[in-house]
Amino acid sequence: MPAKNKILLEVNKCSKSFPGVKAFNKVDFDLYAGEVHCVVGENGAGKTTFIKMLSGALQPDEGTIRVAGKEYSHLNPALAHQLGIQTIYQEISLAPDLTVAENIFVGNWPVNRFGFVDYKKLFGEAKKLLDNLKIDLDVGVLVGALNIPQKQSIQIARAMAIEAKIFILDEPTASYSANEISNLLGLVKECAENGVGVIYISHHLEEIFDIHDRITVLRDGNKIATHGKNEVSDEKIISEMIGRDVSKFYTRKRVKIDYSKEIEFKNFSNDTAVKDVFFKVYKGEILGFAGMVGSGRTELFRLIFGANNRVSGDIFIEGKKININNPKQAINEGLALLTEDRQKTGLILEHSVEWNVSLVHLNNSSGQFINEGKESKNVCHYIEELDIKTPSIKQIIKNLSGGNQQKVVLAKWLYVNANLIIFDEPTRGIDIGSKEEIYKSMVQLAMEGKYILMISSDMPELVAICDRVIIMRKGKIVGELDREQICEENILTYSIGGTI
Amino acid sequence: MKKIIKQDNKIAKWMNKGNKSVMYLLVLIIFAMLIMSFLDSNFFTTRNLFNILNQQATLGIVAMGVAIALITGCIDLTVGNLLASTAAIAAILVSIGVNSVWVVLITCLSGLVAGFINGIIVVKSRIDTFIATLGLMSVYQGIALIIPGGNNIYLKSKFINFGNYRIGGIVPLPVIYFIVITIIVYLFMRYTKFGRKLYSIGGNPEAAYLAGINLDLNRISAYAISGLLASFTSLIVISRIGQSQPAMGVSYPLEAIAASVIGGLSLSGGRGSVPGVFLGVILLGLIRNSLNILRVPSFYQYVMLGVVIIIAVTLSNIGSSKKL
Repeated sequence: MPAKNKILLEVNKCSKSFPGVKAFNKVDFDLYAGEVHCVVGENGAGKTTFIKMLSGALQPDEGTIRVAGKEYSHLNPALAHQLGIQTIYQEISLAPDLTVAENIFVGNWPVNRFGFVDYKKLFGEAKKLLDNLKIDLDVGVLVGALNIPQKQSIQIARAMAIEAKIFILDEPTASYSANEISNLLGLVKECAENGVGVIYISHHLEEIFDIHDRITVLRDGNKIATHGKNEVSDEKIISEMIGRDVSKFYTRKRVKIDYSKEIEFKNFSNDTAVKDVFFKVYKGEILGFAGMVGSGRTELFRLIFGANNRVSGDIFIEGKKININNPKQAINEGLALLTEDRQKTGLILEHSVEWNVSLVHLNNSSGQFINEGKESKNVCHYIEELDIKTPSIKQIIKNLSGGNQQKVVLAKWLYVNANLIIFDEPTRGIDIGSKEEIYKSMVQLAMEGKYILMISSDMPELVAICDRVIIMRKGKIVGELDREQICEENILTYSIGGTI
Repeated sequence: MKKIIKQDNKIAKWMNKGNKSVMYLLVLIIFAMLIMSFLDSNFFTTRNLFNILNQQATLGIVAMGVAIALITGCIDLTVGNLLASTAAIAAILVSIGVNSVWVVLITCLSGLVAGFINGIIVVKSRIDTFIATLGLMSVYQGIALIIPGGNNIYLKSKFINFGNYRIGGIVPLPVIYFIVITIIVYLFMRYTKFGRKLYSIGGNPEAAYLAGINLDLNRISAYAISGLLASFTSLIVISRIGQSQPAMGVSYPLEAIAASVIGGLSLSGGRGSVPGVFLGVILLGLIRNSLNILRVPSFYQYVMLGVVIIIAVTLSNIGSSKKL
């Protein structure tokens, strides 16, 4: 089908580097009118970079983007909009207090001869558009009253109304039910039949196989392959998504795990992202949590740590039930949480290294006065132990590199001698050297008989570090891999909904 | 490694703890004082310098409370009208002949309780603190009228020494209060865990929460202290003017915030130091005093004061990396 249609978009040898990473490497890509071109890849494969270049948020370092027959070295958001490139988000960019019809034609409302909005015409045209797209919604209701899938369909309708030619959907079905997913897929097909080119990005292979005309696989910023309709199996796609050399990765020392002592987590649920999670971790074990972004891992550990409200969930430490309702209680029970976004949720950026290292300790020890001398001495001890590179313990933390910042976060929890340590994406965005320091510390902690949990989207890391890996998907545990079974194929298969 | 860490300690400590704005303010104040000394021989006299401190003492004490809230990331606009309310309570107590010690204790307690209630309302309602305290400000405006029945209450020549006595005939008592309170607040914010928690909450509430800090309790405490200091100030004011007035203190909230921001505090919290606030208060007083000495008509003084606030804050922002 594509061949007979008009070409909408051509990306020629586009590259983009960030400090230390080649996020996008000489990628070619094209899109025809009336086709759904799916893009798949692991976390960090370059999908987000790709979308940002097309929507004008990022400029490629080299290469060109050809849209509607004209060549551009880069786009900006206004230009992308003008060229008819629309990125569809789940809910942002709609006005909740306007009606569906007003939102669809926002800024472009039909007016009568007095310059006032002609509501009759507006509602009529909106209705016609929705009928055409087979969206079953009353055009007069306020958008604020709609649910997320409905809002998303309004955005698609709006993009159709301004006659956009290229739609980009990035993980559009996250948190959708099966029924909602099939509605959305139907709508996307409808758009394609109306001549729109759709770039569809998803972790869910079954969706991809349902909707695709072509599939492009990205890995580590490179385009691996583009396949036509029904030319390829899901095993092939998975192997293309992984396909890297893992032998060079970090090799850790093995620690003897004490299987007689365990921490048990029972029946963890909240209203949305986490459903009935049960698992155990043993003394000295490093237990990994794999899954795609949005699989509920971060939410699960926030529940465990008492940072968010849970519907149910109990923790038994070595047989004894403990009660955690807020982070303070969690810390008192020996839990530690290194959050995935250290700048937003882990550090007080405007303050010093010393301040940040001693934060948890100071707030959870007795007495009111700060013994500065003792504090400095302890902080210096951890700076040396973790080899944190800072000119002074009084250095403002935001001036440190990402790797050193992460080590400060770790030091903060070592200082309170936590027993169960949760690492959420501990090495995201940090350099190789710091990564190894972090791994070394994790193994050291395991050797000291701590319980270690690690969430990671970095599969080589999971394979190299973990004694056992649990895979989550849509808020549930869908698989568990023992030491011998841990490999990227198995992790990925579970992550995208397959079975071994 | 250890050696390097120790060596850098003092300089880095001084520069990093928000002391850039303190240094900059000190220079500005000395500069202004030099110019004024040349322009008018009445300026650089012990009497005039103590006058400036004395005039600024009330704003200064209020500003310490407002600054504590600001550091925690909370704006407190209630202090002015809260001050008028507790002034009415104090004036009534004085006029019916209650012992001065009890007047001070009861007034301060009422301010503490009022601040505590403010804190609970602001924190539990989860409304933006600016809006929440704007509403409460109006509530206290009403209370300040309700308690005295809308009237000024006269102290009938009692309770004069509290705000007017000069030690050795030179140093006014309010100056002592101001300096002592500044030092206490400074030590409190700098060397206690409580102070550290307030800075952490203002700097990054999410990280503070995940480090086990009780956000609500500490925010409420900040408001309570702010209320306490405002009520203490009300005692000085009524002692000075010999009466309470329902409309007094209305300019305090904004002036206190202005002084704090000049002193290097951030409106979003977590940054700045108590000495900075002290100097911010002094700078405002210095300018007002200078304009008086130079006989600038009072209408124009407001305009100039506003301009100076904007210039001072603009200058202190230069070099910060914020673009938006």
